Amino acid sequence: MKIENTKAQMRKGVLEYCILSILKNGEAYPSEIIEKLKTGKLIVVEGTLYPLLTRLKNAGLLSYRWEESKSGPPRKYYQLTKIGSEFLKELETTWNDLVKAVSITSK
Amino acid sequence: MNQTVTINISGIVFHIDVDAYEALKKYLNKIKSYFKNSEESEEIMMDIEARIAELFSEKITSENQVIQAKDVAEVIVIMGKPEQYVDEDEAQDEHPKEDDSSSKKSSSSSSKKIFRDPDDRMIGGVSSGLAAYFGVQSLWLRLFFVVAFFVGFGFLLYIVLWMVMPEAKTASDKLKMRGEAVNIDNIGKTFKDEADKMSENFRKNGKHYGRKAEATIESLFNFLGQLLTGLFKVLGKVFGVVFLLVGTFLLVGLLGMLIGSETIFSITTDGVFSITSQEFFNLIFISEDQFHIAIIGVAIAIGLPIIMLIYAGANLLFKVKTYAGVSIGLFVLWVIGVFMCAMIGIRMGAELSEYEMVTIEEVVTNDANDFYISASQSENPGEGILEGKYSSISLDKDSIYMNDVRLSIYKSKTDSMEIKLVKDANGKSRKDAANHAKMIRFNYSVLDSTITFSNYFSFPKENKIRGQEVEVNLYLPVGKSIYLDQSLKHIIHNVANVTDTWDPHMLGKKWVMLEEGLSCLDCDEIEGVTTLQLDSIRKYVPEIRTEK
Repeated sequence: MKIENTKAQMRKGVLEYCILSILKNGEAYPSEIIEKLKTGKLIVVEGTLYPLLTRLKNAGLLSYRWEESKSGPPRKYYQLTKIGSEFLKELETTWNDLVKAVSITSK
Repeated sequence: MNQTVTINISGIVFHIDVDAYEALKKYLNKIKSYFKNSEESEEIMMDIEARIAELFSEKITSENQVIQAKDVAEVIVIMGKPEQYVDEDEAQDEHPKEDDSSSKKSSSSSSKKIFRDPDDRMIGGVSSGLAAYFGVQSLWLRLFFVVAFFVGFGFLLYIVLWMVMPEAKTASDKLKMRGEAVNIDNIGKTFKDEADKMSENFRKNGKHYGRKAEATIESLFNFLGQLLTGLFKVLGKVFGVVFLLVGTFLLVGLLGMLIGSETIFSITTDGVFSITSQEFFNLIFISEDQFHIAIIGVAIAIGLPIIMLIYAGANLLFKVKTYAGVSIGLFVLWVIGVFMCAMIGIRMGAELSEYEMVTIEEVVTNDANDFYISASQSENPGEGILEGKYSSISLDKDSIYMNDVRLSIYKSKTDSMEIKLVKDANGKSRKDAANHAKMIRFNYSVLDSTITFSNYFSFPKENKIRGQEVEVNLYLPVGKSIYLDQSLKHIIHNVANVTDTWDPHMLGKKWVMLEEGLSCLDCDEIEGVTTLQLDSIRKYVPEIRTEK
């Protein structure tokens, strides 16, 4: 059993939750999301995010709009859909349960 | 000095070093191969490309305008290799493992393909796409299309290419569009790759052969493989070009014929056509409907195969996309076209099914013993549309003129010269045919002992061409003679005579009607006559010689 694998598994579980949480406060484009995720050391390489965003979007949790950018190509600004918000609420409950579980078990 | 290329990623143009470009190309192809099975792959690719463009933009400063290999390497570190993050992603379980075969796959899929270039376009990006494919400046292709447009086929060729060439949507498409320039080096490389692949296959399948045999056969296969692939590729391109050009010209010709306003064809072997299709069909068809059905039918029945030819040519040249179902649709359409032609054919058959003739007789009241027979030498009035040796057709405002006049000479049963005109025509009923025959106008003149026949007849345009003919039968009493003028050469037809002289050889000579039949009077030598006949002839020409 490799420690790297276990870490990756744990990170992956919370990654979607974190992306949705970031978007709870308003729309953002991928680079902004990446900045926050990198600060939290949740992702190492940026490529990780794009397939994930597309999948969440196709699942109906996210929607996006285009906005022109002065410094580069037009940006996709993502935001939560109604389904996304509900999905996030459920995840929040689960997360709180998990935190409780961890704090109880690790005492 | 470094060579740079210009690339376009997500709508932004970058100058990039050649080695950096190669690295980027490899990287993008690799990502793409990981997402190959995913429906979302295109969208993901576009997102990733957009991010790469953003990162590149940050690297460009006023001192450093060119993306270098280290920039690409940095971007790859930031973005991560696909195996780094696809592993983190459950949905992409079934990605190919990084091994020899997948890298080979991606390198072969990175070979050059033809696309329309959406970033450098005047109309549809066809010219710039082709230019990128052939590695020339797009200006030349544009010039070609402008010239071709005025020559006539450019417009169609452009539309066809526009339809068959896909648009380069992602940067990896665009990289493929440019690909490697086609030159001697990489043609050789292609052959070598093919040969390597073959020898590899051989090695896999033929492990149990002796090594020596393997080496010999391998080199043989290498050679054959190179030869064949090379040959087929070249042949394919040659056929592609031929198909494309021939098809385009045929299509332009056909459309020009059917809807153009100018001369449709000119065939010069025996006759010359110079008529618009509209006029031509008007001569045959009764109604506008028939005319339109015929035009559309012909356009579909002949045009579709031509279009398929062009398509096949384009396919051989550029490996364009194919649409399933389209070919079935086209085939059905073609059958409909053929059916339309057949329907018109049957209708025309019905139009011509009956035959009728009208006969007019005149007794020439002239006691002369010698007659001079000639034909008018005038050209058909109006504008000629078909000029043949024996049959010409011409038109003016309201009449059609034709040359199907036939002159025959028979023995008269009475003592006087008779002229019998038989006018015949076809029609959908006997009455209709008789009407057509009656409307035929034909002139001849009897002036003293000179009879002159017109060399054409005419009928009103609304009668249409319905197999109209005029037969002129001349009944010559026994004992009277005629001189056949050279001008009769187009109308004289199967005149029986005792010496079996061929019609054209009868002209320019004097002939007498005997009980036995028509005999030559002033022929220098005559053959095949009986003594009795000779005696009869001597009554008129005592000095005639016969071979003894």
